[in-house]
Amino acid sequence: MSRNLVELIRRHDQAAAPTALDLLKAAAERHGSVTADDVRDAAAASGLPEATVYGVATFYDDLNEPRGDRHVRACSGTACFAATAGRHIAELGAGLGLDVDGVKGDGSVSFGEVVCLGFCHSSPAVIDGRTVVAGADAVQTVLAGAPAPAAEPDWVSLLEQPVLTRSGDWSGLARALRELEPEQLLAEVEAAEVRGRGGAGFPAGVKWRFTRAATGADKFIVANGDEGDPGSYIDKYLMERNPQLVLEGMALAGYAVGAAHGYILVRSEYPLSKPTLDATIAKAHADGWLGSDIQGSGFDFDITVVEGAGSYVVGEETALLACLQGLRGTVSARPPFPAERGVHGMPTVVNNVETLANIPYIALRGAQAYHDLSPDTKTAGSKLVCFNERFSRPTVYEVPFGMSMRRLCDEVAGGMRDGHTVKALQIGGPLGGILPAHLLDTAFDFEPLAAHGCMVGHGSIVAFDEDMDMRALTVHLLEFGAHESCGKCFPCRIGLRRAHEMFSAGTPVDRERFEQLLETLELGSLCAHGSGMPAPLRSLLTHFADELGLAS
Amino acid sequence: MQVTVDGTAVQVSDGATVLEAAKRAGSWVPTLCFDERQAPFGACRACMVAVDGSAKPVPACTTLCREGMVIDTTDPTARRVATAVVELVLSELPSAPAPHTELAAVAAKLGVEGPRWPGATHPVAHDLRHPYLAFEHELCISCGRCVRACDEVQGTFALTAVGRGFEANVAAGIGSGFLESACVSCGACADTCPTDAITERLLLDGGNNGGPPPDAPRLRRRLSTN
Amino acid sequence: MDTERFDRTVTTTCGYCGVGCRLEAHVRQGRILSISPASDGPANRGHTCLKGRFAHQFTRSRERLTTPLIREAGELRPASWEEAYARIASELGRIKRDHGPDAIAGLASSRATNEDCYAMARLMRAAIGTNNIDNCSRVCHSPTSFAMRKSFGLSGATGSFDDIDHADVAILIGVNPTQGHPVVGARIKQAALRGCKLITIDPRRIELADYGALHLSPRPGTNAAVVLGLCHVVARDGLTDADFIAQRTTGYEALAELLGSYTPEAVEEITGIPAADIERAAHMYAEAGSASLLWGLGVTEHKYGSEVVQLLCNLALMTGKVGKPGSALLPLRGQNNVQGSSDMGALPDTYTAYRPVSDEATARQFEQAWGVPLSRRKGYTIPQMFDAAIAGDLKAMYIFGEDVAQTDPDTAHVVEALENLEFLVCQDIFENETSKYADVILPASSFLEKAGTFVNAERRFQLVEPAIDPPGGARTDFEIITTVSKLLGHDMGFQTPWDCLDEIARLTPQYAGVSRERIGRHGLQWPVRPDGSDSPVLYDTFFDNPEELGKFAALPYKEPGDAADDEFPLILVTGRVLQHYNAGTMTRRTNNVELVDRDVLEVHPQDAAKLWVSDGDLVSLRSRVGRIELEAHVTERIQPGHVFTTFHFPETRTNLLVGQSADVNTSCPEYKVVAVDVRPVSEHPAYVPQLAVV
Repeated sequence: MSRNLVELIRRHDQAAAPTALDLLKAAAERHGSVTADDVRDAAAASGLPEATVYGVATFYDDLNEPRGDRHVRACSGTACFAATAGRHIAELGAGLGLDVDGVKGDGSVSFGEVVCLGFCHSSPAVIDGRTVVAGADAVQTVLAGAPAPAAEPDWVSLLEQPVLTRSGDWSGLARALRELEPEQLLAEVEAAEVRGRGGAGFPAGVKWRFTRAATGADKFIVANGDEGDPGSYIDKYLMERNPQLVLEGMALAGYAVGAAHGYILVRSEYPLSKPTLDATIAKAHADGWLGSDIQGSGFDFDITVVEGAGSYVVGEETALLACLQGLRGTVSARPPFPAERGVHGMPTVVNNVETLANIPYIALRGAQAYHDLSPDTKTAGSKLVCFNERFSRPTVYEVPFGMSMRRLCDEVAGGMRDGHTVKALQIGGPLGGILPAHLLDTAFDFEPLAAHGCMVGHGSIVAFDEDMDMRALTVHLLEFGAHESCGKCFPCRIGLRRAHEMFSAGTPVDRERFEQLLETLELGSLCAHGSGMPAPLRSLLTHFADELGLAS
Repeated sequence: MQVTVDGTAVQVSDGATVLEAAKRAGSWVPTLCFDERQAPFGACRACMVAVDGSAKPVPACTTLCREGMVIDTTDPTARRVATAVVELVLSELPSAPAPHTELAAVAAKLGVEGPRWPGATHPVAHDLRHPYLAFEHELCISCGRCVRACDEVQGTFALTAVGRGFEANVAAGIGSGFLESACVSCGACADTCPTDAITERLLLDGGNNGGPPPDAPRLRRRLSTN
Repeated sequence: MDTERFDRTVTTTCGYCGVGCRLEAHVRQGRILSISPASDGPANRGHTCLKGRFAHQFTRSRERLTTPLIREAGELRPASWEEAYARIASELGRIKRDHGPDAIAGLASSRATNEDCYAMARLMRAAIGTNNIDNCSRVCHSPTSFAMRKSFGLSGATGSFDDIDHADVAILIGVNPTQGHPVVGARIKQAALRGCKLITIDPRRIELADYGALHLSPRPGTNAAVVLGLCHVVARDGLTDADFIAQRTTGYEALAELLGSYTPEAVEEITGIPAADIERAAHMYAEAGSASLLWGLGVTEHKYGSEVVQLLCNLALMTGKVGKPGSALLPLRGQNNVQGSSDMGALPDTYTAYRPVSDEATARQFEQAWGVPLSRRKGYTIPQMFDAAIAGDLKAMYIFGEDVAQTDPDTAHVVEALENLEFLVCQDIFENETSKYADVILPASSFLEKAGTFVNAERRFQLVEPAIDPPGGARTDFEIITTVSKLLGHDMGFQTPWDCLDEIARLTPQYAGVSRERIGRHGLQWPVRPDGSDSPVLYDTFFDNPEELGKFAALPYKEPGDAADDEFPLILVTGRVLQHYNAGTMTRRTNNVELVDRDVLEVHPQDAAKLWVSDGDLVSLRSRVGRIELEAHVTERIQPGHVFTTFHFPETRTNLLVGQSADVNTSCPEYKVVAVDVRPVSEHPAYVPQLAVV
C-alpha cells in the first residue's frame, strides 16, 4: 500500500466521509457504470490523484459489470455449485436471454454472476436488485418476475453457555469499564488464547499487544466482515442477527489497545449487513454505549461501517485496509504489519468479526471460563460452523471444538438430504482442503484437520454428494481462484490463470507440471489466496486422482 | 548486526532486508519488482531465498534480517520457485523480451527454459502519442515499478495499476495515456521498467519541433503496432 | 541499460537549473542517443526531470551555429575562425587604444562552466584591463549573494538539499520548485508527504501548497512585510533562541525595536495575508525542532530583494535555525551555474570567492599570477553597461551564453544600448535576439560538448565531461576565450579547462582542495580545505566574518517600484514552467514544444469576468513601458488582482513589459512586480510584439 496515498487519504479524511470507492460505487449505482467524469469527481472529492481512483474503478467487480435497470446476478459460490453444478446460472441466463455480463439492448435488464450471497443453506441463490431469492425454485421465481426474499433458518447453539449466539447486551463492556484497566483486559484476552476465526488462526492477543505498544497519533480497530469464503455465512449471521455483540467486541478492543475509532468492513453481497449495523450503532449512541465518554468512563469509541465492492482478496488484512481507505484491494507485503501501520498509517488491530464477538464473553467471565467452553481440547472457546444445502438441517451452529466431522454432519446437520451420501467435504472455505468421506472421523479442530491437509478456516462445511464431478469441481475452484487473484504477486496472478487453463481446456492434464505449478503457488505467493489454493487441489490429487482427467 | 550469506559473514544495520545483506555479501538474488529507489514491494517473488528457522523459502526483499541469521541464496527449492516465477512471467508476454531488458537478463541468468505452462498472453495495445514516452501494454508484467517511481520518487501519481488478476496492467491517467494524464514527462517510469513496456522514444531521428513520426525507432526493437 | 546499444556512456552534470543532477549521457556515432540519471548523483539520487533526461535534441538542431559569422555591409556572412579572431582582436584593440579598457565590457554566462567564466573574467581583467565583467546572476540571484555575505559571510546555501529530508518544517517563499527545480521539487514533495510541514508563500498557489500545511498569498512586492511579521510574532511570543542570539549574533536590539510595529494586523494590511496565518506560520517555524528556508527569484527579483534575503537571515538567526541538520537556508539557483559563475569572480567587483577588486592583497596575488597590472576600480554591472552604452561611454561588448535582448528587463532600453555599441561579439550556440546586433558571432558549445565544472545550488563542485563534439566548426567556449586572450597579447597558458581549475584552486583559499580527481563522482561542497575535506554545512560553530557573528539587519518594509493604479490595475508576476528553461533557447528546439508550445497569461476567474476574457482568448498586456499579446488561461492558482506569465518564447517578449526598477543593492531587475492593463484583443492583428507605446 502506497504510504504516500495513505497519507493523502489521512490528510483529507473527515470523520466518516465517503472514500473514493464509496463515491465510485454511488456513481455506478446512479447510472450503471463508472465514467471518466465519475473518476475525476471522486478524485476531487477524496483528495486522491485521478489515476489512483481510476485504478480503484478497474479493480472491483461491482464497478466493472455492466448494469441495466434491473440487475440480476446468479450466485457462483461453491455451495450453489454443489447443489446444481452450475446449471442454475445457465438456466437463469437462458430465461433472461442474456449471457453472463450481458445487458438488454434497451438497458432494461442485465445478468451477471456473484461470488456467494451467503444463502448456502438454500442453494441456488439469485439476487435481483437487492432482493435475494434462494431455494430449488429460485430461478423460476426470478424469471416469473415476482422475487420474494428468501428465508434464513435460525441459528442453533450446542453449548449450555452460548457465547456467540447469545444476544449482545454490552455487559462485557460495562464490566470492563467498571472493573478492568485496559492492561488487565488485554491480559485476559491473551490468557484466553483467542485464535483468529477468519482462517489464519493467529492469536488475537498478540495483535492487540503489538498495537497497544506501537506509537501513533491515533489507533484503530478494524472488524473484518468481508466474509468472502464461498459456502460461509457465519459472519453474515453475526452481523445481521447479533450486531451488538460484534460492536461490543470492537469497543472492548479499542479500550484494551487505546483506540478511539473502529471500522467494520462488510460485503456488498450482503445487502442487509450495513443497514443493520448502522441502525445498531445509532441505537448504541442513543443508549450511551458508543460515542464520547461511554457510560461516564472517559472512554471514547465510535464505529464506521464501510461496504466493499466485490473482491474476495479484500478479506486479507492488508487488502482490507486498502479497500477500507478507498484504494485498490491488493495485498501488501508485511512488514509493516497493520499493528504498526494500518488505517491512515496508524497502528491498527484487524480482527475477524467472529473473533471480536468472543471478546465480550471473556470481558464478562474471564479467560478460564472461555477455556472451559471446549472441554475436549486445548483449543479455547466455541466456534460457529455452517452447512450447505446438501445437508438436511443446514444452518449456523455454535459448537465446541473437538467434535468429529462425522458427528457434526450426521448428528448436528442431520445428514445428507434426500438420501444422498457424502463424497467429500470442503471445510473452512475455498482455501481449505477437501476431506473425503472415509476420513469423516477426523476431529473438528486446528491440528487434526491440518494433518489431512485441511483446516478449521472460517468454519464452513460444504458437502459434495456422490454425483459431484471432481474435475468440474477443480475447474470451479480454479475459476474462482483466478478470478479473485488481486494481481499483485506473480505466482498467483499468472499461476492460477495457468492452472485454470490446464483444467478447463478439456484435455488431459500433466500431473507433474501441475504439481510443479502448485509448488510455485504455495511457496511463492504473497498471501493466503495464492498459497492456499493448492490445498484443495492437492486433496483432489490425493483422493480423487482418477477422476481428474490426468494424463496417463 | 551480523548475518551470514552463503557462508560469508556481513554486517548490516537494523532494519536491513535479506536482499540488502545478500548484495553486501556479493551474492546474486534475482529480482524483477525491486528498485533501490523505491520501498520493497514483494510482488515478483523471484527473490526467494532460504533462511534458517523458516521451513519455506522467503522473499529476500521484504524479509528483515535478524541477528545471526543464516541466509542461503542458492537453496534449490528457492531457486526452483524463482525460476518457475520467471517462466510464468515470460509466458504472459506475446513475444520474448528484448535481450537488453532486465527481465531477459534475469531469465538468462536463471537459465529459464520452457514454458512448462503456456497459455493466454496479453493483448497488444500501444500508446505512442507522447513525444518522449512509449507504452506497450502487452509487455507489462505488473511489477509496479513505474507506478511506484511516479509515486515514491517523482510524486506525480500519474500512473496506476489497473484491472485484477491476469488482466492486471498499468495505465496513465484515467486510462487515456501519458498525454492526457498528470504526467510531467520525467521518464522515471521508463528508467525503471524491466521489460521495456514503457520506453524512451529514440530521439536521434526526430526533427526539431515537429516531433518524431508515430513509429519512430525506439530503444528496443520495434514491434508491429496496431 | 544495455551498453551494447551505445558506443559509450559519459557521466556529466546537467546544464539545466541549479539542482545539479548527475547524468549518464549515452552516445552512439557521435550523437546523444539517450540520457539517464546517475544513481549516485548526490542531488538527484537516480532521478531527473524531462529537461535533463529528454531535452538534448537541441544539440543537433539544424539551427546550431557551426561557423563564425561576421557583419559586412550590414549583413552577417560566414567567415573563418581566423577572420573572426582577427576582427575581434583588431576591433577590441582599437577601442581599447582609442577609448581605454573601460570602454569594453564582457558578460560571462551562468550556463557555462566555472573555467569558462573564470577565463572570461581573466580575459577582461588581464587581456583588456577592466573590471567590466558581469554575469547573468545579476538578474536573478545577485541579491541572495549580497545579503548572505552581509548576514553570514559566505555567498551560498548554508546547507544541502539533504537538509530537506531532516527538516520538520520548511518555508518556501517566492519559489516554485516543482516547476523550476523539478528534482528538488520532487524531493520536497516526498518530504512533505513524510511529515515535513511546508509553509508556502507566493502570490500564486503553487503545486507544493497542495501538499503543505499552510499557504500564504502576499501581494507582489510585500515579502519584506511578511518576513517582518513572522519575526515580530517570534519575538513577541518568546520563540527566539536567546542563547544563540547572545552568543552567535550581533545587532539584535535594533531589529527588535524595528519589529515592534510589524504586528500581524499591520502586516495583513500591507500583504493581504490574514493575521492569524502569519501567527500560525511563525509558530510552526519557530517551534519546529529543525526548519529550513528556501527561496527563489520571487524573493530576489524585487526592488528590495536583497533586503528580503537579509530579513530571512534574521528569521533564521533569531531562532537559531542555521548551521544545523535540517535547519538550512537554501536559495534555489535558477541556472545550472549561477553559483559558480559568481564564485569564479565573473563580477565587476570581486575576484574568485567574492574577494573585492579593491583589496590590495588579492589584487597583487592575481597580478603576480597573471603577470599584468590589474585595475582596483569596480566595473560596470549589466544594467550599468547598458546605461553606459547609451551614454556613449561603453563602446564594445563581448557577450557569451546570454541573450540579454530576450531576458533582460526593459527590452527597448537594452536594444537601444546594443544598437549604440561600436562593436558587439556574441558567442553562443544559436543566433538569438541579442546576436541580431552582433558584429561577430562565434559558434560555441553546449554543456554536453565541453569539459569543466559547475557549482550547484548547494555549493557543490561537480564535473562536466564532454559526451559529444561541438557540431561543425563550433568550438568550446574555453578554447575560444583563451584564444581571443592570446590574440590580445595575454596567453593564459591553459592547455585544458583542468589546468584552469588547478589555477582557481591555487589562487583561492576557499577552493584550495578542489581538483578534478577529488571532485570525482560525488562532488565537493566549498569551502574545500587543502586536504580535500568539504563543507556540507556552514556556520555550525561560527559565521564567516571577522567577528564570526551572524549579523541582524534592521530593515523596514518599503513599497515596491511599481504599483497598480487606475490605468494599470493588475500586477504581473513572471516565472517558469517545467517544460521550458529560461529563454527557451535549448528547450524550444526539442520535443518539449509538443508538451508546451506557448506562453500564456494566467488570470483569476473574477478578473477574467470583469475584463470579458475567456479561457483561450488573445489578450493585450500593456505596462508603462511596453505591450505584448498572448493567450489567456483562466485559473484559480492566481489571486484576483494578479496575472502571471512565463518568458520562454521570444514571440511573446514578456520582458518588453518590465521597467527599470531594480534591487537597490545589486541592480537585480524587478521582474516580479509590473503594473499592467489587460484587455481582450477583439480582432487578431499580426501576432507581433511591439516596442513601447507611450
